[in-house]
Amino acid sequence: MTTTKHIEMRNVRKAFRFFTLEDLSLDLEPGQIMGFVGPNGAGKSTSIRLMTGLLTPDAGEVRVLGHAMPDAQAIAKRDIGFVSDDMRLFGHASVGWHMRFVASLYPGWDPQYAKALVKRFNLRIEQNVSGLSSGEHVKTVLMLALARRPRLLILDEPTSGLDPVARHEVLTELMDVLRDEDRSILFSSHNTVDVERISDRITFIDRGRLVDSNDKEDFLERWRRIQLQVPAGTTLPDLPHLVSRVADGQFVTLTTNRFSKDLVAFLGSSVREVHRMSLEEIFVANVMHHREARGE
Amino acid sequence: MNMLTRKLIAKEFYLHRWLIVGSTAAGLAGLAIAAEGAMRFNIGMLTWLTAIIAFGVMLAMLGIANERKERALQFVLSLPLSPGDYVRIKLIGLLLCYLVPWAILSAGAVVLLLVRPNLPDGLLPFALLLCGFMLANFSVVLCGALHTASEGVMTIVIIVTNMNVTLFIFLVGAVPSLNDHLHAAAPVWNDAFWIVLAAEAATLSIALSLPYFVAARRRDSI
Repeated sequence: MTTTKHIEMRNVRKAFRFFTLEDLSLDLEPGQIMGFVGPNGAGKSTSIRLMTGLLTPDAGEVRVLGHAMPDAQAIAKRDIGFVSDDMRLFGHASVGWHMRFVASLYPGWDPQYAKALVKRFNLRIEQNVSGLSSGEHVKTVLMLALARRPRLLILDEPTSGLDPVARHEVLTELMDVLRDEDRSILFSSHNTVDVERISDRITFIDRGRLVDSNDKEDFLERWRRIQLQVPAGTTLPDLPHLVSRVADGQFVTLTTNRFSKDLVAFLGSSVREVHRMSLEEIFVANVMHHREARGE
Repeated sequence: MNMLTRKLIAKEFYLHRWLIVGSTAAGLAGLAIAAEGAMRFNIGMLTWLTAIIAFGVMLAMLGIANERKERALQFVLSLPLSPGDYVRIKLIGLLLCYLVPWAILSAGAVVLLLVRPNLPDGLLPFALLLCGFMLANFSVVLCGALHTASEGVMTIVIIVTNMNVTLFIFLVGAVPSLNDHLHAAAPVWNDAFWIVLAAEAATLSIALSLPYFVAARRRDSI
């Protein structure tokens, strides 16, 4: 039996005057948390707006929860919880009014869960939204999205305005959502620490193009920095799957995206250290490698 | 009308409730002032007119332009509706919000003309045309707000529509077949009245339909 992918993008293109999202293809399976990582201006928000039907692609196909976007967005959005860091609620209405408003629109609204979230996020339902701090505002928007129990959560930089404690609370809550295996999250951020913590799949995007997409563990297993010590003037042979090579005197640092013990064996006694790379290091190395490959 | 439409229209009433109440109260105060004496009539009717015009401008600005500017539009568009639904709901919701003070204040002006012996009933056709004009004018502002995200363009729309009220009073008020009967004891419903009313109805229809064909069919909502 085939399950419907929660997000399917095929060869999507969207052009603006100074930016083009080019040939973007990605899939999000039910139950997955995808970290959608890219520098500022990479195209994360544009991609998300295409997924939520706010933008229409110039070419390609976008399907969310099996519905063609943007044509079937009204149906698809019944099961999508969308939160963006620049999304604002109505300033002159209270948190409680927003809860009643959203509850009246979504049959799946869970009042007990909403109450628990209000308590956990330390929100006050009688408070007007205009009086909320930016962190409280983000938590309110998240609470409104989570309490309707959507099958798909699309979060565009939700933690960017939060302090470390609030970020921890929010990320913990998102992990909780995934206890239900049919729900999935697409989580965009340039904060790789957050992404590394909660995601099981990572997609890198840069300058409007998809750079890489894979399981988090696969990224962490495949990428290594290898430090070699070789006599000055030694020319290293061409090695496959090298992303970068930086020489400093007799020390050479290699970055590979296909690490294997065979590679270490091949390099032999010149190997001084092999470093596991953090997601941030992988992200930067990956992006720089692709920019060089494209001659940018 | 489905549940989502009803809830979103109710939301417009809730968010603009104080504006509706305040404008209605200001307009009614104007009518009360206008009830006695020529000078008071001018001041009162100016207050009444200002209350209706300013309410329309503020309603369109707060309901559409500010919602976009303050980024609450993203929240609204995250709800299960299409861009077409959004345009339809905004048109209906804000028009209904406008109609409450407009209808009360228009009816108040008609009652004032009918019950005050010092005010000739001949003013009635012109007063109704003025009320109709303000409704059509509001629909133009609403249409403009739904079509442009530019504050500059919106400012121009507001200035032009405000100027139109003054132009309407002077130009339509100077039309001989209307002006000749302003001081008559009984209202005269002649061809000039019906032509101007038809023009207002046409403006209203165009301004309220245009967003369905343009704004609702835009490829990008943000």
